[in-house]
Amino acid sequence: MTIVDVLTAIQNTGFARAITKSDHLVIAALQIIHVFAFLLLLSSLVLMCLRLLGLVLQRQSIPQVILGPMRLFWFGLSLAVISGALMFVTGTKHYYYNRAFDAKMLLLLTAVVVQLVLFHRVAANESPRPALARVIVAFSLVFWFGVAIAGRAIGFV
Amino acid sequence: MSSLVAFAECIEQSKIGTAIAESRYWWPIFEGTHLLSLSISFGLIFVTDLRLLGLWLRRVPVTDVLHQLRPYVLGGFALTFLSGGLVFWSEAATVVVSPLWTVKILLILLGGLNALYFEFVIAKRPEVVDNRTPLPSSVRYAGLASMTIWTVVIICGRLLAYLPR
Repeated sequence: MTIVDVLTAIQNTGFARAITKSDHLVIAALQIIHVFAFLLLLSSLVLMCLRLLGLVLQRQSIPQVILGPMRLFWFGLSLAVISGALMFVTGTKHYYYNRAFDAKMLLLLTAVVVQLVLFHRVAANESPRPALARVIVAFSLVFWFGVAIAGRAIGFV
Repeated sequence: MSSLVAFAECIEQSKIGTAIAESRYWWPIFEGTHLLSLSISFGLIFVTDLRLLGLWLRRVPVTDVLHQLRPYVLGGFALTFLSGGLVFWSEAATVVVSPLWTVKILLILLGGLNALYFEFVIAKRPEVVDNRTPLPSSVRYAGLASMTIWTVVIICGRLLAYLPR
């Protein structure tokens, strides 16, 4: 069984067909939720990065500022993954053969690893070394915005 | 309305309008910038609204949050408006005839007025300046209004992409 067989099988499940055959508004709603969820993720990331760089809310400690946005970040990611997976099952091969989709998945994996391994470490610290914080903020922004750009490019390639 | 449509056709068919619409790179770049810059403009407004609703950083005065995020919020909005304007330039006649576009523009104006009213009236009240608890309920209403207005603006904007062109 090749990967293409698996993709075809997923696309042909009753569940995937139900979404595909449903009203256009269902797909449109999924896309809106997907965009909105990712915006929540990026928004909370921007705020956390501004704080890590010491540009805003300096009188509050890093862990104190980051607690709320971090929850919003993971909420946004969960919602984006769920809505994204629902869109994916309706056209598995369409996405599989899209180069921007491949790039997006690779960037997403890297971004999640950067977030869990590096970002969380520096965000838990009361006073991380400024140079280290800057490097990690840069990595995090590049990968997460990279995921968004690659995602937007899926519609163009 | 018909003069608005005529004007929209005029700018869509202008040299710059057609150049953006026909370019392989400029249209996706402007449209992508418009979308991604929302993470700064809409995003920072959204987290400010969370503070107004008392859901986050309750011990930090509202005026502090507003003041410190202001340059980034304004910078984000400048980027969103500029890139949005360039996208509009290339498809003005297609979008102005849609009620979605009218709703979107009216809500942007309403969102702007809500922010100005908050900034110049509500945020100047002594209870807000001194960060007394509980804050007047008008603070929460303004946050809720802002969150709702900008969310609907984004939904309208996304739906505009489905218009036949």
